[in-house]
Amino acid sequence: MKKIGIFGLALRNLRRKLVRTVILLVTVAVVTGTLLGATAFITGMRNALKIGTYRLGADVLVVPEKNEAQAKSALLAGEPTTFYMDRSILEKVQKIEGVKKATAQLFIKPTSFTCCYNVDAFLIAFDPATDFTITPWLEKRLKKPLADDEIVTGSSLPVIAGDTLPFFGTPFTVAGTMEPTGMKFFDQSVFMTMKAAYEMAANSKTKSMQPLELQKDSISAVLVQVQEGFTPERAAIRIEHDVDGVKAIASDEVISTVRRQLGGLLKGIVAISLIVWILALLMMGFAFYMIVNERQRELGLLRAMGARRDQIFGLIMTEAMFLSLAGGVTGIAVGSGLLYTFKDLIMRGLKLPYLLPSVFVLLELVAGALLFAILTGVLSSLLPAAAASRMEPYEAIRKGE
Amino acid sequence: MGSELRKDMPVLQVTDLSKDYMIDDQRLKAVDNVSFTADRGEMISIVGHSGSGKTTLLSLIGGLTKPDRGRVLIDGTDLWALDDRKRSELRSRRVSFIYQFSSLIPTLTALENIILPTTFGDFSADVEQYARELLGIVGLEDKARSYPSHLSGGQQRRIAIARAFINNPEIVLADEPTGDLDEETEQQIIALFKRMNGEKKVTFIIVTHNREIADRTSRQMRMSNGVLVAQEQGNHL
Ligand SMILES: Nc1ncnc2c1ncn2[C@@H]1O[C@H](COP(=O)(O)OP(=O)(O)O)[C@@H](O)[C@H]1O
Ligand SMILES: [Mg+2]
Repeated sequence: MKKIGIFGLALRNLRRKLVRTVILLVTVAVVTGTLLGATAFITGMRNALKIGTYRLGADVLVVPEKNEAQAKSALLAGEPTTFYMDRSILEKVQKIEGVKKATAQLFIKPTSFTCCYNVDAFLIAFDPATDFTITPWLEKRLKKPLADDEIVTGSSLPVIAGDTLPFFGTPFTVAGTMEPTGMKFFDQSVFMTMKAAYEMAANSKTKSMQPLELQKDSISAVLVQVQEGFTPERAAIRIEHDVDGVKAIASDEVISTVRRQLGGLLKGIVAISLIVWILALLMMGFAFYMIVNERQRELGLLRAMGARRDQIFGLIMTEAMFLSLAGGVTGIAVGSGLLYTFKDLIMRGLKLPYLLPSVFVLLELVAGALLFAILTGVLSSLLPAAAASRMEPYEAIRKGE
Repeated sequence: MGSELRKDMPVLQVTDLSKDYMIDDQRLKAVDNVSFTADRGEMISIVGHSGSGKTTLLSLIGGLTKPDRGRVLIDGTDLWALDDRKRSELRSRRVSFIYQFSSLIPTLTALENIILPTTFGDFSADVEQYARELLGIVGLEDKARSYPSHLSGGQQRRIAIARAFINNPEIVLADEPTGDLDEETEQQIIALFKRMNGEKKVTFIIVTHNREIADRTSRQMRMSNGVLVAQEQGNHL
């Protein structure tokens, strides 16, 4: 034991009124935990959406006008769906200014007769020649290009490479399975080439009890990558203007649609966090006002012993900082624990491609929450600490009686 | 300390010191035009009725409250011409207070309480050694790890006195240091003051109601209604 130090003194002070210290600590913990939960939830969701569209690599999705809603739910929730438009739309879109790449896809919702297991599989046919959305993902898993009697399955489907799966009467060999992407559009889908899909449809009339009505040259969607200097929104507006009967969904628009759907929920979360925070600030502020008040004489005595104003200020601030740091760490530990534990429940409850943010982003959020906790401590104790440091020592000692 | 250079100069010079309080539109002259000087190693007692301004005077001298008029020079430095930081530093190095009430920090042990003042200033690392020495001087070496709540009133006061010496002060301002103590403890404390006064040439200003203590100081001063009414040389017992 050498000198006690301001920090040691602060710790002793916190131990003195343990119940109050614990209450304040829990308050900061609740605020920090709520904040971390809310931000992790919001960023996670936003990320999931972004990743979804980024992974798709498409800036704009062109679908039949009347199928806009289906298209969005297919994209966001992997909801199997079927709709068609004419292939000529692809050529039209390709010619529009600002469009860099365009490729067609077919979305086919298999009937329950076509498959044998209990998952909402979603058939997606792509055009290997022009595709820029799925091929990059397949390349990671396949050594050679996908043949026309092969499929690649999403990670959620209970099959392994080499399995044979029939769709509409045509058997396909599983060439590979994809890594989990966190996006149902990928994870629950079965990918095949456009050519394979047309052949499968043609053969279904003889081979399947539920034939697939698919005209040659039908497509479901055109996926567009825009040129540099063009925003997805601008390209989308042009496409809708120049091509009749289509809806062009910009990737950002997909996100904003969901955001609108979740707007109420998010606002609620933000409002609750804010209210909790303000309450906590008031509570901490009041507590520190009390702390300074009841220790008035003691602080005056410290001044009489030679403590400078900044040292008194530092003492009170140290107590607040320690409280908010300890509370912040507790809140982060408990908050992320809860978030992780109930991750699946939240995802299921909201029917969303919700993802926990990546470790890196989570670390950023944790750092942010911790900073916020410290800010709470600083804000709540700044005035009491300043008042304590400005007291005239003699008055402090006299009034503290 | 720089004081060695100025052995001839009074350690404390108080000139025309005044402090007023406004109470219900009435001006109360708590300290009224007080002047005196104290030489190094002097032991001065101040007596006077309750409310005569003794505590206020000590607080003015120690820089705890700002005078309305007049000056306090410690080793020639005008206390109230300094900024708060410099004044605090001067207090930290040269002045100590001893109070009538229990002034120990309840969350610190006896030894930690004695060391506490060194937290706020620039003191050599080995203050613990000196703190233990002081603990021995006040006869409580076995109480180093005791908390104030486990010490008697007299023991607490002795710890507070030991604390007052940890910074090797030049001036000790004691406000009724034996006020509520039994006679035996009182005797111990006076003996202690005498010893520090003799060994370290510490200057004492002791406010007291106790005639016996006053008689054992080198000079007695009396205050009445804020005014220093009499000074007399003591008989150096
Ligand atoms: N901070 C203050 N505010 C108002 N009145 C004060 C204050 N400090 C002291 N007084 C008044 O000044 C007078 C002197 O007080 P004090 O110095 O404590 O006297 P003593 O120590 O001799 O008993 C008293 O009347 C007291 O009420
Ligand atoms: Mg008094």
